[in-house]
Order: sequence, then structure tokens, then C-alpha cells
Amino acid sequence: MAAEYTIAAVAAPVAVVALELLVLRTGLLRTARYWITVAISLAFMVPVDGWLTRPDATVVHYAEEQISGVRAPWHIPVEDYGFGLALITLTLLLWQRLRPAGEGGGRDA
Amino acid sequence: MDALRYLLILAACVAVTLPLEPVLGARVYRQPRRLLATLLPVVAVFVLWDLVAVARGHWWFSPRYTTGVTVAGLPWEEWLFFVVVPLCALLTFEVLGRAPRLLRRAERAGPPRRDLADEAPPARVVEDPTAAARAAAPARPETAVSRRGR
Repeated sequence: MAAEYTIAAVAAPVAVVALELLVLRTGLLRTARYWITVAISLAFMVPVDGWLTRPDATVVHYAEEQISGVRAPWHIPVEDYGFGLALITLTLLLWQRLRPAGEGGGRDA
Repeated sequence: MDALRYLLILAACVAVTLPLEPVLGARVYRQPRRLLATLLPVVAVFVLWDLVAVARGHWWFSPRYTTGVTVAGLPWEEWLFFVVVPLCALLTFEVLGRAPRLLRRAERAGPPRRDLADEAPPARVVEDPTAAARAAAPARPETAVSRRGR
């Protein structure tokens, strides 16, 4: 049986990117500003998620058969990065889409 | 204290990113309608994913490190997670959008440029009145230019 969370964690960012390319078309993914935001957000996700998944005091438990088993750093399932990437990207896309008229296109970064 | 752990982790995220709005000029909290319109679909989609994942046994939450308050079958901490993480990302994104302006402001308020600093030697006891006049001479017009627009 396939690890379902692994599949979902790969599918989610792909689905969000497809939403951008086919529906929203904000152009956000072509901006440095987006990629820098993702880098910073995922960097900060590490201590937060590391804390939530630490083996000696686990807040969120994962079914071993539903994940790939790759955990890095510490005890963070790699799947969580796909989850986080989809969450952050969807947020930024909608935020950009709802940009009030007259605000710059965000291509200045 | 254990039961508050998940909540405290989220509170730390909010606290760390809080200065980004008043200090670095992010405009997220100040656009509540846009924020709400952004967060509603995000929360809806990810809570749905979460409910399916919990139902399928992908993950579950520690009764020890959560308050035990649930909303629609998920710990309310998990709902807050889908608000807090996007909020932090938006604050970051907004600050980066202001980066060019912030840099310009820092440049204007920064230390004087070298060529201006070299302009006026420290005042010495003056014996030669012409030297005094030279020392007191106004700096190059450039100084005035750099002060424009303040």
C-alpha cells in the first residue's frame, strides 16, 4: 500500500501551481519576492515543526506506514514541506489575486 | 502547561512576526477584509485535508499537548495553525515588497558618505585667516542635493 500522505504532499503543491497557471494567473511564481518568502517561511517552519514532531514530546504523531519515513532535520517528516509549500503558496496567490487596484505588481524584488 | 504547548508554539510565531507590521511597514493586519478573503478558502481547503488525513489515520494529535478543545473534530490549535502560518508568510511577503523603499530610506538616514566626511577637517587653532575661510567654506553643492526630498 502506498504512503498516502507522501502522495498528498507531492500532489498538493502541484495542484496549487496548476491553479495558478490555469485559473489565477497572477504571475507570482515568476517573482523573486515569492521565492524569497517561501525560503524564509520554510526556514522558520523547521523549528516550529521540529517542536511539534520531537520524539520525546510529540504534539502531532504520524502513521509510519503513511509516510516515506524520511525525516529531516530531527524528526520532521519530509512530507510536511510539501504541505507547508502548498499552504504558503495558496495563501500568497490568493493575497496577490485580491490586490487592491493601484498596488504594484510585486515585481520589484 | 503541557496542554498549552501547541498553542504556545503558535503564539511564538505570532509574536516573532508582530514587529513586521508596525516597524517594517507590512500592511497585512491593516487590510482585514483582504486578509479574511485570503484566509477563508485557505482554512477551508486545509481543514478539509486535515479531516480526511485524520480520518484515514495519516496523523493524530497528542491529547497531552493540546487543550482538548475541538472544532468540527479538529483541535482548535490546528485551525489556528492554518491562520498563523499563512499570516507569517504574508507579513514576510509584504515586508519584501517594501524592501526597495526600506533600503532607500536606510540609505538616506545612513552615515554620511566618505567624500562628504573628508570634506571638513577637524577645526584647528587658526592662524591664517584664509585657511579659516577655506575650512568654513560650504561643502560641495552635492550635500544640498543629498538632503533633497526629506
